[in-house]
Amino acid sequence: MKKIRVLLADDHTLIRAGLRMVVEAQPDLAVVAEADDGRDAVAKAQALKPDVVVMDIGMPGLNGIEAARQIREALPDTQAVMLSMHSDEGYVLRALKAGAKAYLLKDSAEADLARAIRAAAAGKSFFSPAVGKVLLEDYMRKLERTGAEDSYEILTPREREILQLVAEGSSSKDIANLLNLSVYTVETHRARIMQKLNLRGIPELILYAVRKGIVS
Amino acid sequence: MTASSGSAIDSASLEPSGPSNKLHWLLIAVCSALLALLLGSGVLAVRFLGEMHTQQLAVSRALAARTQMLASLWQSIQSYNQAVQQFVQQAEADRDQAARQRLDQLTLEIGAELQRYPRGLDPAETALLDGMHEVFLQQRTIYVSVLETRPDERGRRAKALMSERMVPLQQQLLDWSGKLQSWNEEQVRHADQSLLSGFGLLQARLSRTLAISFGCGLLLMLGSMAYIVRLERQTRSRYVQLARSQHELQRLSARLLDAQETERRSISRELHDEIGQALGALLVDIGRLTSALSGERPEVEAQLTNMRSVTERTFQSVRNIALLLRPSMLDDLGLVAALEWQGREVSRRSDIEVAVESENVPEDLPDEYRICIYRLVQEALHNAVRHSGAKNAKVTVGQSGEGIVVRVSDDGRGFDPERARGLGLLGMEERVKRLNGTFTVESQPGQGTTVKAELPLPAQRGNGI
Repeated sequence: MKKIRVLLADDHTLIRAGLRMVVEAQPDLAVVAEADDGRDAVAKAQALKPDVVVMDIGMPGLNGIEAARQIREALPDTQAVMLSMHSDEGYVLRALKAGAKAYLLKDSAEADLARAIRAAAAGKSFFSPAVGKVLLEDYMRKLERTGAEDSYEILTPREREILQLVAEGSSSKDIANLLNLSVYTVETHRARIMQKLNLRGIPELILYAVRKGIVS
Repeated sequence: MTASSGSAIDSASLEPSGPSNKLHWLLIAVCSALLALLLGSGVLAVRFLGEMHTQQLAVSRALAARTQMLASLWQSIQSYNQAVQQFVQQAEADRDQAARQRLDQLTLEIGAELQRYPRGLDPAETALLDGMHEVFLQQRTIYVSVLETRPDERGRRAKALMSERMVPLQQQLLDWSGKLQSWNEEQVRHADQSLLSGFGLLQARLSRTLAISFGCGLLLMLGSMAYIVRLERQTRSRYVQLARSQHELQRLSARLLDAQETERRSISRELHDEIGQALGALLVDIGRLTSALSGERPEVEAQLTNMRSVTERTFQSVRNIALLLRPSMLDDLGLVAALEWQGREVSRRSDIEVAVESENVPEDLPDEYRICIYRLVQEALHNAVRHSGAKNAKVTVGQSGEGIVVRVSDDGRGFDPERARGLGLLGMEERVKRLNGTFTVESQPGQGTTVKAELPLPAQRGNGI
């Protein structure tokens, strides 16, 4: 079985060493290189074309989000797993917009890293459970204080189903196959979901799904 | 701290000093004295002139009266003399009675006139008048003796009488009257002279007073001018001093702010890089240990779980402290994301729901602008949480024209910005001023608060981080 090739990018040697041990403990994962800042990560990714880049957000010089964006632009087949200290939606949304598939909090990295790398390599989304919790809390508090209605309630069951699949990383074609629908119908559903929830783009949709606990 | 020392300098330089107050009173006193002097000499001159005028009037009136009297006396004496001559020369006895009566009447008139003559206290005048009267009486005695002779005898003696006694007496009388006349003239000259000397006195006195007044005025003017020049010089030097110290203060506070930010940044970096990463590594190790045990030693695993939760909590608080010191979002995600994060953090930790809106905020804002706006919003929200009791707050950032406008408003109880200005507002103002911006606080009790800052964008952009 072919191993998933992983590039580790973190400016702290200790963390990098810990992560490497976690990754190499898994039989199906292999670390191909380590990078200690954003620029180094971009250069090494372009040279080695890994399957997954595990990237710390806060790095000197070029930060992790910018580096992930550049790598995703140059190498569409290389997926990014973001490591962060922050569970704030600003970070999550920007990581998603940069093209990251998974978002891990550093304090739980060791437990979820292998799962996140596997999910990302398969093109699926993955988020630390704590992230979803914080986002949900923010969302509920806002609803409560502003008296706004939970827009999830106005979605039809079919729309909710498609929302979850889209958020998990499935393409319209996959969804059409899975649900026995035409691609056109799926696209129409997607458009309606975006309209109903007042979302702009897939990253916001994924964030919404994470917030609602639909994806984790 | 900077604010309090600034106000101390202000109050010291604005306090009125003692000497200038004394001088003030001295100036008023000298001015009043000068005015009084001028007024006094004026009144004196007017009164003196009035007196002179009355005196002169009296003198000329007295002279006129005397001259008139003298003329009439003179005329009476002349007509008496004529009457005597006529009487002596005519020899008809039947007309004697009438002539005699006429002479008696004339005698009485002359006597009365001499009596009526206005006599001053001057003894010379009295002597003259007495002399004249005596001569007249002698004359009259002679006439009486002539009158008593018979007409025929009279004719004989007339010539001798006339030439020997009457004519010299008449002459004498005329002389006396002439003397009186010249005495009168003398008096007029005297009066004129005394008038002249009086004028001279007045002139001397007035010019003395005027000279004194002029001198005093000159002194006063010179003194005042010197004082004004000194005051002006003092004011100028104080102004320069004040401006310089203000400038120094501003520079100092700017440097303090800079130093504070740099310090915070380095401490935050240190916390994040050293302690944070070490804790992170520890967490990874604990996780690996736990999975390595794989349920063989439950009591060790329980301890590991405990260790893990302690480490996680420490990790969280280190992260929070680091974020408070320097929000890493500013570096990682930019200003807008950092403000949104700040809004959510405040919403999470307080009863205020914060909405953040941004429009056209340049990505390449220099770091000092980002930190200024970030700290401004942070402080304003902090104030809102602590004092306003608001339910909602709104942060808007946008580019307008050549600058960036930041507005933080809440729907709380508000305050009177003229009266209550805490150090928080001062600090915000200081930061905004450093970037040549304007800072305003709009608030009224019960009307909520809006803090607004307008920062002109630097002419050259893109040199920021």
